[in-house]
Amino acid sequence: MRILLVEDEKKVAKALREGLEAEHYEVSVASTGEEGFFLASRESFDLVLLDLMLPRRDGIDVLTTLRKRGVQTPIFLLTARDAVEDRVHGLDQGADDYLVKPFAFPELLARIRALLRRGRMDQILRLQHDDLEMDLVTRRVTRSAQPLELTAKEFDILEYLLRHWGRVISREMLARDVWHVTARVTPLDNVIDVTIARLRRKIDDPFEKKLLHTVRGVGFVLGGKHA
Amino acid sequence: MRAGPLSVRARLTFWHAAVLTLIVCAFAAGILLFVKARLYDELDARLQRELVTVERISREEPAELVDLAPHWGVLLFQVSEGGSVRYQTEGWEREGVARALRDGSRGSPATWTAPDGRRYRVQEMSGPSHHIAAAIDESPVRHTLWTLAVIVAAGIPFAVGLAIVGGYFLAGRLLLPVGAMADKAREITAESLGERLPVENPRDEFGRLASVFNDTLSRLHDSFERLRRFTADASHELRTPLTAMRSVGEVALQGAPDPAAYRDVIGSMLEEVDRLTRLIDSLLILTRADSGGIQLAREVVDLGALASNVADHLRVLAEEKHQNLSVQTATPAEALCDPAMLRLALMNLLHNAIKYTPGKGTIRVEVTANLPKEEAAIEVHDTGPGIPAVHRARIFERFYRVDQGRSSDSGGVGLGLAIARWAIEANGGRIELEADKGEGSLFRVVLPGPARGA
Repeated sequence: MRILLVEDEKKVAKALREGLEAEHYEVSVASTGEEGFFLASRESFDLVLLDLMLPRRDGIDVLTTLRKRGVQTPIFLLTARDAVEDRVHGLDQGADDYLVKPFAFPELLARIRALLRRGRMDQILRLQHDDLEMDLVTRRVTRSAQPLELTAKEFDILEYLLRHWGRVISREMLARDVWHVTARVTPLDNVIDVTIARLRRKIDDPFEKKLLHTVRGVGFVLGGKHA
Repeated sequence: MRAGPLSVRARLTFWHAAVLTLIVCAFAAGILLFVKARLYDELDARLQRELVTVERISREEPAELVDLAPHWGVLLFQVSEGGSVRYQTEGWEREGVARALRDGSRGSPATWTAPDGRRYRVQEMSGPSHHIAAAIDESPVRHTLWTLAVIVAAGIPFAVGLAIVGGYFLAGRLLLPVGAMADKAREITAESLGERLPVENPRDEFGRLASVFNDTLSRLHDSFERLRRFTADASHELRTPLTAMRSVGEVALQGAPDPAAYRDVIGSMLEEVDRLTRLIDSLLILTRADSGGIQLAREVVDLGALASNVADHLRVLAEEKHQNLSVQTATPAEALCDPAMLRLALMNLLHNAIKYTPGKGTIRVEVTANLPKEEAAIEVHDTGPGIPAVHRARIFERFYRVDQGRSSDSGGVGLGLAIARWAIEANGGRIELEADKGEGSLFRVVLPGPARGA
């Protein structure tokens, strides 16, 4: 999977590149809008990560020109402006998704996976990892064949974590995708922490092997190398 | 102090002088005309008297005429009988007054100009047998009038000059407060907004102007003060996580490399980054709100449903503290507002209530509709420690904390209530804080109903 990263801030570009390469993506970096446009129109990528504030040629301009030329590559906007108009404008111009800086890296990874996966409808009825099983139709959860009593919210969180097995999930992702609260200033962090703690009591406390872990400063992870 | 091409002082002086000149000229002309009329009246009366005297003497003692005539000096006359001149004074012929009679009848006195330029007042009188004509020299009258005119003409420029000088001086005196105000106003900057303009007489126009200006300065001073405090608070709040990150990082680099310790340090730094991000997001919302950059998506919102939804979101927190969190909807209440913003406000209010109410306390959300006033209200009652009266007015200010000491440990950044108030007020509502009966606090959100909000 080849990703073109158009980002002028060197530190950010380096961090993103290393992070993406650690996930086995092949990353090319362009540091100006002009260079990004040149690479994107000449070579073929699976995804373009496009910063909006770029020297010489801004991201929206690159985006519209690429789309006018019929380049169909999914384009992911990274923006420091989070005004609603900017987002709508970006999506109107043919962007596929956006993230507002500063963002959590795990979230960027999750969104990239979702974009690359798009089009392939995966009808999953059962989720299973280790000895944890979830039936999405009957909404029953068992661990080591023991049924677990979860509230609706706990079930939703566990489903989300199971779908992202082994990957770190930020509080922001949970707030948006499980609680469906988009405003970042909403005081929801305590609610998330408490709910995770309760979930942990149910799925981990009675068992030897712990599955749900807190990654300090980032979020939570179910299973994976942190286990 | 320049307004247009001329200063106010110069314009005042100019108009003042112009009006005064006009008045003085009209006055002088009036006087001249009046004096002239009076002098001619007198001259004519004298001519009439002389004419009568000549007639009487020529009738009673014609011989005396010759003797008397020289005594009258200025008077020229001619007495004729039946077309032939019986007597005429010496000057009569010399001045050629006879020609005046040929120009027409002189039953009433009229002015006649002799060929040498002298002017005479001429009148005729006809008796049954004789005809008398007399002329009197106008020169003394004209001389008097001329002298008067010269005096007036010389006086007018003097008066106008005096008016200009005096007017300039007076205008200067009158405008003195304006100059003083301007000087003072020039000195006042953002740093010295506490100073005020001098008010000499609070009842006159300049005094009122200065008072109004001073009121404006007071308001400016207040908002600058708020801004200053806000900036100081914001930089303090921004610096705290930065300081934490820096010291944690520096200390970690000094110690022995231990992967687990590094993980911990990085995690700790990321937590601070989270805090900074949240703070900046909050500040951004408020800044954009201040500049009116947020657009509302208003719709009719069922307040009961929204309150229940928000309570459900936060219920886990109340459960952890064994608090009783309930939502009561006495009457179905609807409001026209942006649901996302109202939700944000209510989240903040309820979050606060749960945070500050001790374990096993009660938090009650009441939704009511005030139909006659077309209003709906959401009340959040709690059994927390309450907010002392001194803090109540300022609790909605940015970064304001009842307990100045607990800034970071309670998690928030001190903007929750400020955001809540902004979100409510942007929707045309208001937020009130009361001491609840007995104990705890009561926050009341009042919103316009669907009919009134439109």
